[in-house]
Amino acid sequence: MSDSAQRKIGDVILKADNVSLSFGGVKALTNISFDVREHEIRAIIGPNGAGKSSMLNVINGVYHPQEGTITYRGEQRKDMDTHAAAKSGIARTFQNIALFTGMSVLDNIMTGRNLKIKSTFVEQALWIGRARREEMENRRVVEEIIDFLQLQHVRKTPVARLPYGIKKRVELARALAAEPSMLLLDEPMAGMNVEEKQDMCRFVLDTNDQFGTTIVLIEHDMGVVMDISDRVAVLDYGKKIGDGTPDEVRSNPEVIKAYLGAH
Amino acid sequence: MIYREAGQYKTTYDTDTQIFPIAQDRYAMLAILLIAFIVIPFVATPYIFSAILIPFLIFSLAALGLNILTGYAGQISLGTAAFMAVGAFASYNFMLRVPGMPILLAFILGGICAAMVGIAFGLPSLRIRGFYLAASTLATQFFVVWCLTKVPWFTNNSASGVITAQQIEILGFKFDSPQEKYLLVLGIVCVLALLAKNMVRSTVGRSWMAVRDMDVAAEVIGFRVMKTKLTAFAVSSFYCGIAGALFAYCYVGTVEPEAYNLDLSFRILFMVIIGGLGSILGSFFGAAFIVLLPIVLSMIVHVTGLPNSVTSNVELMVFGGLIIFFLIVEPHGLARLWQIGKEKLRLWPFPH
Repeated sequence: MSDSAQRKIGDVILKADNVSLSFGGVKALTNISFDVREHEIRAIIGPNGAGKSSMLNVINGVYHPQEGTITYRGEQRKDMDTHAAAKSGIARTFQNIALFTGMSVLDNIMTGRNLKIKSTFVEQALWIGRARREEMENRRVVEEIIDFLQLQHVRKTPVARLPYGIKKRVELARALAAEPSMLLLDEPMAGMNVEEKQDMCRFVLDTNDQFGTTIVLIEHDMGVVMDISDRVAVLDYGKKIGDGTPDEVRSNPEVIKAYLGAH
Repeated sequence: MIYREAGQYKTTYDTDTQIFPIAQDRYAMLAILLIAFIVIPFVATPYIFSAILIPFLIFSLAALGLNILTGYAGQISLGTAAFMAVGAFASYNFMLRVPGMPILLAFILGGICAAMVGIAFGLPSLRIRGFYLAASTLATQFFVVWCLTKVPWFTNNSASGVITAQQIEILGFKFDSPQEKYLLVLGIVCVLALLAKNMVRSTVGRSWMAVRDMDVAAEVIGFRVMKTKLTAFAVSSFYCGIAGALFAYCYVGTVEPEAYNLDLSFRILFMVIIGGLGSILGSFFGAAFIVLLPIVLSMIVHVTGLPNSVTSNVELMVFGGLIIFFLIVEPHGLARLWQIGKEKLRLWPFPH
């Protein structure tokens, strides 16, 4: 896949200013400012407990920071609300797979389309008119995502029966079903073998390339992070200790000390 | 006949999302409906109607209602009988106090009253879950029965607290005989089961299951958890309310608030657990198990000619034993056993 026109990095669409988050006496994030540009792949790295996942949770409104503001697409607010975040095009996956285990792959991905469905409860109960039509239209979109992520063979399998690597892919599919403009990926490659990692990298890059989706990614595999991301932010103990292109980060002495180690 | 789907191609998403995607299932369902609507009314005796079929259908409907809440939306409730009571007594009062009230409308309004009570008592589910929620729904059970007993207005100042269900009449046709009542109940249950199936295969059903399986993720992808839970409580209570009204009007005829006690709530919860959580068909299996099995057992035990004091105890022991047996064999209920059986049948007689 060659570089398409969409792959041009645009303006800053998400900006966190001086965000601080604490749980009781534990400071998860201290005075963090960082931004994400349109269409870029932005990585957040750092040791365990550095506050990476907390940062994602602040971005899509699961956690509410005590201090600081978040500006998303020109709108500044103290914190995001999960529903508003989903509506404004932010989708995410979770570090510990958060799929709906009792449902089939197809139904899981269909849940990702829920905000596109306008039919009322009564229409759905009667399975008439708009409800039925929307179900078919959304099914078509979902099938495209199934094709894109190569999940055809498990379409109707209950999620609980799937192997780990496929589950991670289904979670990505569910997030993509919302046609997000920004995708937050929390360790999409954790616990995978090399082959699965390669597949996942390809899917992430293709998503970014084909749909122009902005991607914020947490990952521990430095090879992957340095290869695919445009800019990398480094957190340690809830503070940002480095930010910049992969090369800049790699040569930042503080980052080497805290996280990368000497090579 | 071989249970195969070879050659049944689905070329549109519409045919792929059918309720019964396999042709043999469709024919079987059609046959069951034809038998239920046309053959049974001619062959069954009044005893079979009023002691077996009508209670089976009514309990199926109540179990279906609870299954929506507990099986699909994951909210445990011990207040099922209370919602049934609200449906029954609300329908009774609508019939009593509104002149010319059509009975079906009274049932629906009774269901809506139950739904509103369900929403009110579903509010704790926004903060608590699991066993704690079950304990808080116990409040519904005690409060509703207490309220119906203590406020004489609900029972039309009846001294004993017993109400007698009014005559059922739809468009001038009187439903008097067990056979006619059976057909009425069957019709209502079929329509409501179809509606429930439609709900669970569209967005509202997926929202329930999403909240059941992983509520944080459900919220993050855009479902409103509060609305979803309360919708589940409302729909579930509506179904239970209708079941309660049918219980009063088509099954027992005269009923007191105490008939809708905690014991009944537990019976319906057992039906859902034995039949299969999160399965429409399972609600019917569960009701059949709890309603029909004791009858079958008592027939079998009576044939042995043992004295009555022994037979009634043997009956209960066997019944209890069977419940434990089925739960050990398949904790996911009879519906799952049925599904496994069907999957095996698709390959039979080949091993793979």
